Amino acid sequence: MSSLNIFSNFDEVSVHFSSCIGSKVLGRDGVSLGKVCDLFVDYEDLYPLVIAIQYKRNGQLFYANWESVENFSYHEIKIKNDAPEGQSRTFPKQENEKSITSILANQFTEAIEYPPIGKIVLDRQIVDTSGKKVVRVNDIQLIKVGQHLRVTHAEIGVRSMIRRLGYEKLVDKTISLFRPNSHYLKKSQLINWKYVHAIPSRNIHKNVKLNLSNDDIKSIHPADLADILEDLDSFGRETIFSKLDLQTKADTLTEIDEEILPSLINEDNLDEAAKIIEEMDADDAVDVLHELDERKAQLIIENIKDSEQKEEVRELLEYEANVAGGIMSNEYFEIDIEDTKNSILERIPKVFDEVETVNDLYIVDKEYQFLGMLTLGELLSYSDNVNIRDVMQEQDIISLGPDAHWKDVAEYMNKYNLFNIPIIENGELLGVVSVDDILPYLLNEKS
Amino acid sequence: MTDVKDKIEKYNIPPYFKKVLILLTIVGPGLITANIDNDAGGIATYSLAGAQTGFRLLWTLIPITIALIMVQEMSARMGIVSGKGLADLIREKFGLKVTFYTLIFLIFADLGNTMAEFAGIASAGEIFGISKYISVPISSLFVWLLILKGDYKIVERVFLVGCTVYLSYIISGFMMKPDWLAIAKATFLPDVTAISMKDMPILVGLVGTSITPWMQFYIQSAVVEKGIKVKHLFESKIDIIVGCTFMVTVTMFIIICCAVNLHGAGLVINDAKDAALALRPLAGDFSTILFGIGLLNASIFAAALLPLAASYYVCEGLGWESGVDKSFEEAPHFFTIFTSLIIIAAVIVLIPNINLFKILIWSQVANGVLIPIILLYILNLCNDPDIMGEYTNTKMYNFISYGIILLMVLINGALIYFEAIRPLLE
Repeated sequence: MSSLNIFSNFDEVSVHFSSCIGSKVLGRDGVSLGKVCDLFVDYEDLYPLVIAIQYKRNGQLFYANWESVENFSYHEIKIKNDAPEGQSRTFPKQENEKSITSILANQFTEAIEYPPIGKIVLDRQIVDTSGKKVVRVNDIQLIKVGQHLRVTHAEIGVRSMIRRLGYEKLVDKTISLFRPNSHYLKKSQLINWKYVHAIPSRNIHKNVKLNLSNDDIKSIHPADLADILEDLDSFGRETIFSKLDLQTKADTLTEIDEEILPSLINEDNLDEAAKIIEEMDADDAVDVLHELDERKAQLIIENIKDSEQKEEVRELLEYEANVAGGIMSNEYFEIDIEDTKNSILERIPKVFDEVETVNDLYIVDKEYQFLGMLTLGELLSYSDNVNIRDVMQEQDIISLGPDAHWKDVAEYMNKYNLFNIPIIENGELLGVVSVDDILPYLLNEKS
Repeated sequence: MTDVKDKIEKYNIPPYFKKVLILLTIVGPGLITANIDNDAGGIATYSLAGAQTGFRLLWTLIPITIALIMVQEMSARMGIVSGKGLADLIREKFGLKVTFYTLIFLIFADLGNTMAEFAGIASAGEIFGISKYISVPISSLFVWLLILKGDYKIVERVFLVGCTVYLSYIISGFMMKPDWLAIAKATFLPDVTAISMKDMPILVGLVGTSITPWMQFYIQSAVVEKGIKVKHLFESKIDIIVGCTFMVTVTMFIIICCAVNLHGAGLVINDAKDAALALRPLAGDFSTILFGIGLLNASIFAAALLPLAASYYVCEGLGWESGVDKSFEEAPHFFTIFTSLIIIAAVIVLIPNINLFKILIWSQVANGVLIPIILLYILNLCNDPDIMGEYTNTKMYNFISYGIILLMVLINGALIYFEAIRPLLE
């Protein structure tokens, strides 16, 4: 049976993509067919199976199916006599029933032609959806499975870089002389293939019409997703962003760098822009709108369907972005003077998602005139069903006007140990600034 | 960009004015890149050119400018169309090996350039009687803090304002009342045959300080960073033409200033400091102070932006985290490269009795070897429809570009022979 074993001249378990490149491809009677330049794989597998070998002869690209490979090694790859040879830069996708589809596989399900794997991944940036960052791939790792090869990892890090440069043996030997147990020798920086998300690229898109879906991306926290998008080039960024659902779009936009924010809001689709804004809290929405130019912002607001949100956004937009009025949220937990402990506790589940905070209770009358406040903690400390009128604090309440600069807000929070500050003008409670609204300014992310 | 358009519509601004306003939002990358080009090495070369050859080589500035505009336009166009930096594109198209060795060379060349900037700072200090052992350590610390603790956007704006110092070269050029007819003749109707072998080092210097490898990376990153869209390609071209023209005008006037006062005066002029000091008795304190401040401004900003640009594109090409807003733990390679470039350059400049001139020549050689290679990459990428789509080069553009590369190879070959190989043989 050994003559039938493709890997009879190849002992290692794992295969480095970079080591395959440049191997001789031999046909009938050892005639050279060319040199390996890439591999075609079945992207719809969780760990893609190598289905063909691409090679170059006289500047032209050919491929041979894996079934026609007789013997595989880094040195040379023997092709069976009279095996068919395809000539194409891409591999025609074969339609067959698949029981297993990985998350990543969805990226390629609507592809008509497969591009070779090196072209999509090697030397390119990918999103590591487990580590939640953008990395550049130095090598691809495959393993032998029976008579086949499967892609298992993308490799990053110094060691794979040195391998690509051709110094792996030299560096390995030198290091093992001095520190045989070094971290460098024992560990490679690998990313499991199921966490590899290829980034859409203009050129690959054009040739092979990949549909890059974002199922694995969507599960990343919006704050991490924003960081990832910031690291991408404009084409990849806009393509990935456009495929997110509204809620994720909204959450990501509130986290993203203000410099690239405007490029993600599509002017031609005001309806969608308005829907994204509707998904946000009013104060976040205003932050985003402040980054756009006035006319575009107005057009988007006009397209907002939820009239309450529209009104709140308009109110907040009156203020400069860096003063309390521009930072505050006007969705606060309104407490009536007639409320009791029980009536408040009953209302919390209903309003929890809507308001900035339920930790501080603000008591207002019908005209939103500020009457007093109470913390939730204080309220809970009463065992009886107390009347708010009797327990609320009316004197010495720390508050600021809507024109207070963010620095003043931060100073007040620091001085009086507050998480939230009510913003009051002429006795009317306009909104609340909470500490997480101020943090981005303190960390220099906004100015 | 769009916001300006909107405001224009809102305020009913006439159409020709509209175009100017849109242009102003695109302007930046080209202007800044061109101005960093007038760095310490540049000012030194221009001073030498004026002092040693008078108006005779002024005409060479015209072909240099055309070449400069063309190569910068290609890089900017690539940045706009692909949305990626040059190191990024080189890595994706030519693989890790090619990228790695190119970057190694670039770092070496950039180290030399950074040294030249610190040497410029030292010279500027000496013009005002400040020892280099004071000026260089203080300015290297300043530069380091400026980039890592400051806001890069502000640095860039301050730098642009600093560039107005260059205007004073033009003013002082007029004040010196040169022979305009002779200048016009030397520029537009040159006696090309009068060029001699002795002019070669100056000519090579003029080309070498004008068209540098790192600026191609810089301008491409700058347009990507600015997020300029394909529909603004035209405005970006104007930006580059304006920037290069401004730069070359300044160059011309530095040459003119030095030519009027120093050419044929029988003085030995070896560097920018000599030129600045020699100007005092002939053209007054004003010129000396102007040259000193001009040199300091150019050197400090180039000393800040060069190592920064180098760290960015090395990390981009090799896939390491980068960014001044990151912490050291997040982007160790980035901060290590940036800091070491500044420290090594400053320390070498401060070594007593070191032959700076030799170091600068070798860094110019590294630049000279690199620039044709980088230009070949650029041409290859710019003709790749996979990257450029419909915005690839035209045949005519390619023809001229290959001509430029050929000339660069010849000129830099001459430089390498005269400055590096011949001294070794002797």
